[in-house]
Amino acid sequence: MSEWLQQAIARADSIQDGFEDQRAASLALLKDIKWPTRKTEAWKYTPLRAVERSAAIFKEESPELDPVAVEGLEFLELTFVDGQLVSLPEELPEGLSIEMQESSLFGTIKPERHIFGLVNDVLAADVAVVTVAEGVVVEQMLRINNLLSNGAQGHIRVVVDLKAGSSLKVVENAEGQGASLTTAFTEYQIGVEANLEHYRFALQSGDNVAVGGSHFKLFENAVMNSSIIGFGSDLQRIDTDIIYAGEKANAKLNAIYLLDGKELFDLHANVEHAVPNCTTEENIRGIAGDNSRAVFNGRIHIHRDAQKTLAELNNRNLLMSNKAEINTKPELEIYADDVRCAHGATIAQIDKQALYYLQTRGVSRSQAQLMLSFGFINELIDQMPTVELAEWVRPIIRDRFAQMEVK
Amino acid sequence: MSNENTLLSIKDLHASVEEKNILKGLNLDIKPGEVHAIMGPNGAGKSTTGYVLSGRDGYEVDSGSVTLDGEDLLEMEVEDRARAGLFLAFQYPVEIPGVSNLEFLKVAVDSQREARGEEALTSAEFLKMAKEACKQVNLPVSFLKRGVNEGFSGGEKKRNEIMQMMLLQPKLCILDETDSGLDIDAMQVVANGVNSQRSPERSFIVVTHYQRLLDYIKPDFVHVLADGKIVKSGDASLAKELEEQGYAWLQTEPTEDELED
Amino acid sequence: MTEQIDKALAREYEAGFVSAVESETFEPGLDEDVIRRISEVKGEPEWMLEWRLNAFRVWQEMEEPDWAHVSYPKIDFQAVSYYSAPKSMKDKPKSLDEVDPELLRTYEKLGIPLVEQQMLAGVAVDAVFDSVSVVTTFREKLEEAGVIFCPISEALHKYPDLVKKYLGSVVPTKDNFFAALNCAVFTDGSFVYIPKGTRCPMELSTYFRINEQNTGQFERTLIIADEGSYVSYLEGCTAPQRDENQLHAAVVELVAMDDAEIKYSTVQNWYPGDEEGKGGIYNFVTKRGVCHTNAKISWTQVETGSSVTWKYPSCVLKGDNSVGEFYSVALTRGRQQADTGTKMIHIGKNTKSTIISKGISAGKSNNAYRGLVRMNPGAEGARNFTQCDSLLIGDQCGAHTFPYVESRNPSAIVEHEATTSKVSDDQMFLCRQRGVDPEKAVSMIVNGFCKEVFKELPMEFAVEAGKLLEISLEGSVG
Repeated sequence: MSEWLQQAIARADSIQDGFEDQRAASLALLKDIKWPTRKTEAWKYTPLRAVERSAAIFKEESPELDPVAVEGLEFLELTFVDGQLVSLPEELPEGLSIEMQESSLFGTIKPERHIFGLVNDVLAADVAVVTVAEGVVVEQMLRINNLLSNGAQGHIRVVVDLKAGSSLKVVENAEGQGASLTTAFTEYQIGVEANLEHYRFALQSGDNVAVGGSHFKLFENAVMNSSIIGFGSDLQRIDTDIIYAGEKANAKLNAIYLLDGKELFDLHANVEHAVPNCTTEENIRGIAGDNSRAVFNGRIHIHRDAQKTLAELNNRNLLMSNKAEINTKPELEIYADDVRCAHGATIAQIDKQALYYLQTRGVSRSQAQLMLSFGFINELIDQMPTVELAEWVRPIIRDRFAQMEVK
Repeated sequence: MSNENTLLSIKDLHASVEEKNILKGLNLDIKPGEVHAIMGPNGAGKSTTGYVLSGRDGYEVDSGSVTLDGEDLLEMEVEDRARAGLFLAFQYPVEIPGVSNLEFLKVAVDSQREARGEEALTSAEFLKMAKEACKQVNLPVSFLKRGVNEGFSGGEKKRNEIMQMMLLQPKLCILDETDSGLDIDAMQVVANGVNSQRSPERSFIVVTHYQRLLDYIKPDFVHVLADGKIVKSGDASLAKELEEQGYAWLQTEPTEDELED
Repeated sequence: MTEQIDKALAREYEAGFVSAVESETFEPGLDEDVIRRISEVKGEPEWMLEWRLNAFRVWQEMEEPDWAHVSYPKIDFQAVSYYSAPKSMKDKPKSLDEVDPELLRTYEKLGIPLVEQQMLAGVAVDAVFDSVSVVTTFREKLEEAGVIFCPISEALHKYPDLVKKYLGSVVPTKDNFFAALNCAVFTDGSFVYIPKGTRCPMELSTYFRINEQNTGQFERTLIIADEGSYVSYLEGCTAPQRDENQLHAAVVELVAMDDAEIKYSTVQNWYPGDEEGKGGIYNFVTKRGVCHTNAKISWTQVETGSSVTWKYPSCVLKGDNSVGEFYSVALTRGRQQADTGTKMIHIGKNTKSTIISKGISAGKSNNAYRGLVRMNPGAEGARNFTQCDSLLIGDQCGAHTFPYVESRNPSAIVEHEATTSKVSDDQMFLCRQRGVDPEKAVSMIVNGFCKEVFKELPMEFAVEAGKLLEISLEGSVG
């Protein structure tokens, strides 16, 4: 067991008094768990050295930090700094509530297998519970900010409960400065005919260490649309689970990762089709340059009863450098026969013919490379339902490409 | 009206799909060599008739009887009906990847010959027949090597169906909207194929929504199917009448159900 | 419909008979003494014994792998007998006339006549019965061409330098748990050497038969194709129908030198156990080939037997421009479990690999493709294409795909696709409407699904494989 984990457990033990059953159970599990190594399937390509070596601390006092502004959007801000909830929206729209309380949903959507999920169970100080009342459509976007000051450690946890027929748009925004470390887990219950528009931005790089997950459970006719965009850092790991608990639900997941330097980014996307007639579409695209390492694992599990499932996963990667690496593992586990499932994964370079074509038209090679690789990512940005967010993130990604090209 | 000279005899046939009644008292007698057209509005039960006669799963016969050559058709398995001489040309032929047309047809022809107590054809004989059939429906011989309907265009699939009919030499052919999705040229090819197979021993049921196919395949009788039963029968001129007036006028003539009400 | 397909899939295992052959069989159990005895009956040189003992020590330190998508009760390695040979083989018969006729009859029944007049023209056969090779046909003819084809136990005596040089060179002792066990206790298997520039004049084939009860079969095959040579090799395997599970842990090593080509085909039909999953062979096999410059290794497998299969025939594409291929049909039914696939390790420049995997699951079986494609930093311009298709028959089975794709070279291109489908009601209806039996229809559709793989098999065996599927499907899958 790592020293880091021992410290985490010790800290949890010291604050254990307030835990109800769920968190106590997690602590017990954590005490028995094996620290992942290269032989642990879920961490095969993602070493945890960055966690083991992290000197990030629980700060007694944190500086004031503000989340990045997005032109054209006024969010309902739920802001954590160094793991502490520091601000809630002053006024909430009718039918939307945010409370700091125990929720019976806590830990029921996020799977137990995730070691850092367990750490989060026992170390997240303030658990925020967001509830949208039945039939309520919240127009304004809710943004969950996970801000960390240099050298800080923080663990945040949010539970979102969309009651039947409700609708919500959520942005999970992580901004970690310097050598910070965080785990950030969110659980979403999307009720009958409810609708979730979801974003997770992990645009932090450098020596930040972030492990977290967004986990979704969908009931009958529920719809979700999620976009995840990540840069790498010393360690970025995001797990998503999409669990169908009601028929005719529908999920779309788009993800982009864009890595430079010595960055590491790891996305694990798991889909559990436990009931019939649900539809999943996943488009995952990534680019790895310089010395970076990208990891993707996309599992689709069709249970015995999940007849008439439609599930597709497409993972495309561009490898830009001799020293970079991409590891992808799309998995299918199918136990029902009347289903349509497919996955595809490719790893390649930019299309040389297209590159040549642009060059013959007078575009410089590096410019042409930028255009082509950006186009590859841009297709997914175009699919983001909230245009303001797409317009905000597009130049950020373009800048990153430009930087990558300089090298 | 049925006698020993009747090939197909349908009596008061009621059938349903997923517990919904589609055929509600269908009566039809067909003698060898006759061509019967069944027309009617969408949802009248035209395609269902073909599926019920050929024994497709999910098409339940609730009451009534059907005999082919005096044998109880409804008691037979799908493949036995085929071997007894019933052929259904599908509206949307399914693809079977990796199984070549030639292999498929050889197995089908062999099975049917075996069932009739005939000797199997040698591969050479069969190939010759198949090539000849291809020619007749304007399909390149290379189609024999391709997977069954795999990547065929709509027109090619229909011609492939007619080619199969030529090789299997059935007694009763049911053409289920064979004209749908075909342009005039393709329809002519299909019609020529069908006409070449007309003989005093072979009967046809031509199911179609439009009259135009019947310009090329001249029917002896035309029946109008509406709400699961034949509401009007006549000769080829009935088709013309339908073409001009559409099916709406049928509604003005009360159906039996409505009379009973 | 499903019912008809199930019926079509219920099969008799035709190779399930037991031959009445008197055997000398070791008591169950495994320790250094057993290994010494194996080495002694084989009259092996000292270095070989040392090699085995080392492997045994390595094995004892290792843990049985548990990552595969299969589950079976823990194997008691002390309950297995590690050596069994027909008594009649003790005197090493010099010619066919001296071989126990019961042994010859066994192979004849399996469709592998070994008697001169009936031998398959163009195919040389090495027949391995439990732990020993019974006979190798056409040896003289092969010798004329300079081709060595003999039991590996014999090669140890006649060609010790070749064996010493290459044994364990592709699959090292430590490679994995079952390979290490094989290194310690392997009994027989085939050895092939094709000299430089030689095209082997006939197909080579080894037929493995497990007969004795409670016996494991641990064969070892080593094929070396020297520069510019070519060989096509096929193995077949069957076992009697027994209620107990039996262990088969083989290792196959292929070496394709510069410009050489090896085509290795397997038709695996070990006893699969009964409908309820009782009995059957545990098939834990390590197969790997190394390709030098411009060389090519092509694995083709048709897997219909065994209750548990754990098998990943792989290619290490070491030399520039080398080519690896893997074509697989795996059919599982009843309670069979298969976890099979391949590894393509691209090391050299412009190396190419193709993977075509067709998995068919029926009954209550589970069928998994597991594969690794790795592009090393030096694999400039390398290319892989993978296609994994699963066909599910019925709603009680499972079909799984676990591909690992790793790339560390930007000029390499990897493409992986996987799909899943079922035998559709529409397809069945079309076939039946044309007069085809439901059973024949299933078999035709399944065969069509597998076509891309069957066309890779040598002619004689493509027919056999088709038939095997037919039996399995009718049988069960014609």
